[in-house]
Amino acid sequence: MRVSTASAYINGISAIQRLQEALDFAQRQISTGRRILAPSDDPIASARSLELRESLSRLNQFDRNAGIATNRLSQEEAGLSSVGNVLQRVRELTLQANNATQSDETRALIAIEMREQLDHLVQLANQKDGTGRYLFSGNLGDVQPVTRMGSTFAYNGDQGQRFIQVGEGRQVADGDPGSAIFFQIRNGNGVFSTAAAAANTGTGLLGTGSVVDPTQYDQDQYTLRFIGPGNYEVVDSLGGIVTTGSYQSGDTVAFRGIEFSLSGQPATGDEFVVSPSQYQSVFATIDNIATALERSITDDASRAAMTNGANAGLIDIDQALGKVLDIRTQVGSRLAVTESQVDSNGAYALIAQETLAEIEDLDYAEAISRLSLQVSTLEAAQQSFIRTQSLSLFNYF
Amino acid sequence: MPDLLNTSLTGLLAFQRALQVTSHNIANANTPGYSRQVPEFSTRVGSGAGNTYVGGGTQIATIRRIYDSLLGEQLQTSTTSQARFSALDSLAGRIDSLLADADTGLNTGLQSLFNAVQDVSNDPASIPTRQALIGEATGLANRFHMLDNRLGEFETEVNGRLSLAVDDINRIASAIADVNDQISRTNGAGQPPNDLLDQRDNYVLELSGLVSVSTIIQDDGSMNVFVGSGQSLVMSGNTVQLGVRGSEFDPTRVNIVIEGSGGAVPLDTSLTGGALGGLLEFRSRMLDPAQQSLGQTAVAFAQRLNEQHASGMDLRGNLGGALFAVDPPDVLYSSNNSGSGTASASVTDLGMLTGSDYLFEYDGAAYTLTRADNGQTIPMTGSGSAADPFVAEGISIEIGGAPVAGDRLMIRTGHGAAGSVQNLISDPRAIALAAPTRSQISNANIGDASISPATVVDASDPGLLASSVIEFTSPTNYSINGAGSFSYTDGDQIVINGSLVAISGVPAVGDKFTIEANYGASGDNSNGLLMANLQSVGVLDGGTISINESYGQLVASVGGATSQIQANLDAQNVVLANTQDAVMSKSGVNLDEEAANLIRYQQAYQAVAQVIAVTSTLFETLINATGR
Repeated sequence: MRVSTASAYINGISAIQRLQEALDFAQRQISTGRRILAPSDDPIASARSLELRESLSRLNQFDRNAGIATNRLSQEEAGLSSVGNVLQRVRELTLQANNATQSDETRALIAIEMREQLDHLVQLANQKDGTGRYLFSGNLGDVQPVTRMGSTFAYNGDQGQRFIQVGEGRQVADGDPGSAIFFQIRNGNGVFSTAAAAANTGTGLLGTGSVVDPTQYDQDQYTLRFIGPGNYEVVDSLGGIVTTGSYQSGDTVAFRGIEFSLSGQPATGDEFVVSPSQYQSVFATIDNIATALERSITDDASRAAMTNGANAGLIDIDQALGKVLDIRTQVGSRLAVTESQVDSNGAYALIAQETLAEIEDLDYAEAISRLSLQVSTLEAAQQSFIRTQSLSLFNYF
Repeated sequence: MPDLLNTSLTGLLAFQRALQVTSHNIANANTPGYSRQVPEFSTRVGSGAGNTYVGGGTQIATIRRIYDSLLGEQLQTSTTSQARFSALDSLAGRIDSLLADADTGLNTGLQSLFNAVQDVSNDPASIPTRQALIGEATGLANRFHMLDNRLGEFETEVNGRLSLAVDDINRIASAIADVNDQISRTNGAGQPPNDLLDQRDNYVLELSGLVSVSTIIQDDGSMNVFVGSGQSLVMSGNTVQLGVRGSEFDPTRVNIVIEGSGGAVPLDTSLTGGALGGLLEFRSRMLDPAQQSLGQTAVAFAQRLNEQHASGMDLRGNLGGALFAVDPPDVLYSSNNSGSGTASASVTDLGMLTGSDYLFEYDGAAYTLTRADNGQTIPMTGSGSAADPFVAEGISIEIGGAPVAGDRLMIRTGHGAAGSVQNLISDPRAIALAAPTRSQISNANIGDASISPATVVDASDPGLLASSVIEFTSPTNYSINGAGSFSYTDGDQIVINGSLVAISGVPAVGDKFTIEANYGASGDNSNGLLMANLQSVGVLDGGTISINESYGQLVASVGGATSQIQANLDAQNVVLANTQDAVMSKSGVNLDEEAANLIRYQQAYQAVAQVIAVTSTLFETLINATGR
């Protein structure tokens, strides 16, 4: 083919320019470490890398969230542990006081310590977190959850629970409202509670009760009344007689699917009331026990009243302890869930990062060998351009 | 003898001229568009000498330019294609990097905003965290603005470049007309005006770089040039001017017109190829869709977040207001309208929203809606009144005034929306992170039924914040606020005043559950979590595309189009280089060849001069012989 002088020149230059362009691209790739410099270099990979970056940003955020959840749950766990210790101490004190060797004075001393424990418990319930907000007032973080009027304890928070997003589609509660921990505790055995009437003159002592047949129990209030020595009747809330029986100390009384034991010598006219379990705050429980302990014992009847009170209190304290344990277990499992979610977030982030690296990152070995090939090609092109351009017939004129 | 001298003289003159041609070629070796010229020698017919013919020497019959018109046309075509992709590439590459850059793109802004929503959900009572969210919201609104502005700058740049291209086209057309005049004047002379032809071909080539043209050579040698779908640009010595006009709907959008005798005729859709075609194509194929898609993302983002925010309660106990402002679709009236018809449009279904531009036309009896980009007719429901607006593709159109048949307007549902996004909340306490209502179990309950947290199903219910009590009158029946008797089964969902709760378990007679306004719940993040969720929840395209994905699609489609353009440009560069090579190979000057010609003609000239010397010797010989 005929070659014109100008086109030989233009072709030589444009070849050099193309090589320089490729060289520049490789150089920019190497200096940034990125394979893709603009989305048009690989549109599909670019879109994928946007998605992966979003995932990574979300995973990063989830880890931050999980850190906060763990922090809050640990704080709650510490708080609940102190609450458990107080309840344990109250339980010990009750057992200690509920002993025939104690005098009015020693019981009064025990009651004083118990009231101190009660004060401490109220303080624990009203504790604040690191940011100055109440730990146990539900979502009403600025409201003091527990207030006291004499022996009445009120809950001022709400029953809300806050959730924290710790993973894709996974939320964990970062606390529990004080209502669940301190207030909504069933008294008695959780289904029904028994109590001796305050006016009893005998020495009847209530034992623990249990449900034999839940289908027969109808949550009515029943009164067991001694109508003569060794004889009793059970009436429901409307006065209808449910059952009658004769009594010997240690007998188990059973009706409407429930049973409980009774010992001692109740006097005629003594009454024992069976009510469906109700929510009772742990504060009221301790206050009740302390009040029972503070009574002076003048005769067998007042001793029986104290013992009944202490026994009922023990049952209620056990309910409260069970509740605290229950919630601590939940907190523990939330902590475990959070931790395992953090692990799986991390595993996914690792995969995402590897994929991202595969998509975006430069294969340096390939790029550098490409660069050096391009450099030598360019050198060759430049040299051959100079050589061919210097050839001219005019040189020989 | 004198004949011999004359014959030699023709040689001298011819080779002198040939040397002139060679030197013209050498001098123009680097002139663009120059076609090398070759002298065509022919013999001079001599006179009869007896019964033989003796030649009369040589002459240059013509000086021919080496030009292949087929190759010339190929060069025009490939120049047009290459210029088209080159114009597209220079603009597309810039949009491409603008959208994906971490510093300018939207995705990092969206991520930061949603991360801030999560942060504030972790600690909803914290004012500094709320303040940080407002900062991110402002930042994101700025990002929307910035992107919209940058795309708007492209629009301005396209306008400017179109005007320049039109000026260039008009200038070149005049130049071609001038050359046409000169060529037609020399037409009678019989010899081709080589350099004028080169000049004209070069102008046509320059014109081909701007827009696709077709040419026809007239009998008088002048050339007619056509653009678009056969509109004359040059007719012999006359030109028709192209011009730029603001569009019918938007005076800031430049359209190309041809100023024919019957007034300006719009040419936009028929002008293809060249830098001008590339610019128009960039505008309709990349810039418009990018602006529309960005606007669609902005509208979806702002409206969806606002909806969710309105379903929450702020720290002051008020329901959430709008977090972001975004303008309703633009309604642009045609400058040709003669009636007083008006229309207003609003986005009512994000799942159906396309972000496209629509033409809304009145034919005297009915209205029709068509997509502006492809002319597809879009069916509408409704009657256009305020109570029953026209509804199509996620927008509602309400009409008013008195239109006249033929009146039209344009509704832009995405274009420019990103630029109107504004953060409306500056008070950190006004961010609604809590649920508006909460459910509570009464402390006196004996049964073990529990109630779920209240969720809002209708934030606009007027009774939303009123307290309600669900009281069980039997384990299987309940009343609401002491009235009615509704049957209960375990797990029932109950909706009261726009709030939904689920009750499960076995209630006892007299058990109460309360739904009440969630006042004071500074620690509640229920609505914050729902807002954070919007990052990954489908909103657009029937609820399948999340806001982030919608932006990702924009980046991918612009990136895909750009890479296609680059591939095409690479291919066209090769095609153009090959065609240029072919043309140069045919018509270009080769200096070595000219050097050889120089030697050849010089030697011929010297030889002829020797003949004259011989003639002189012959003459002397004769004189000497006879003079004795």
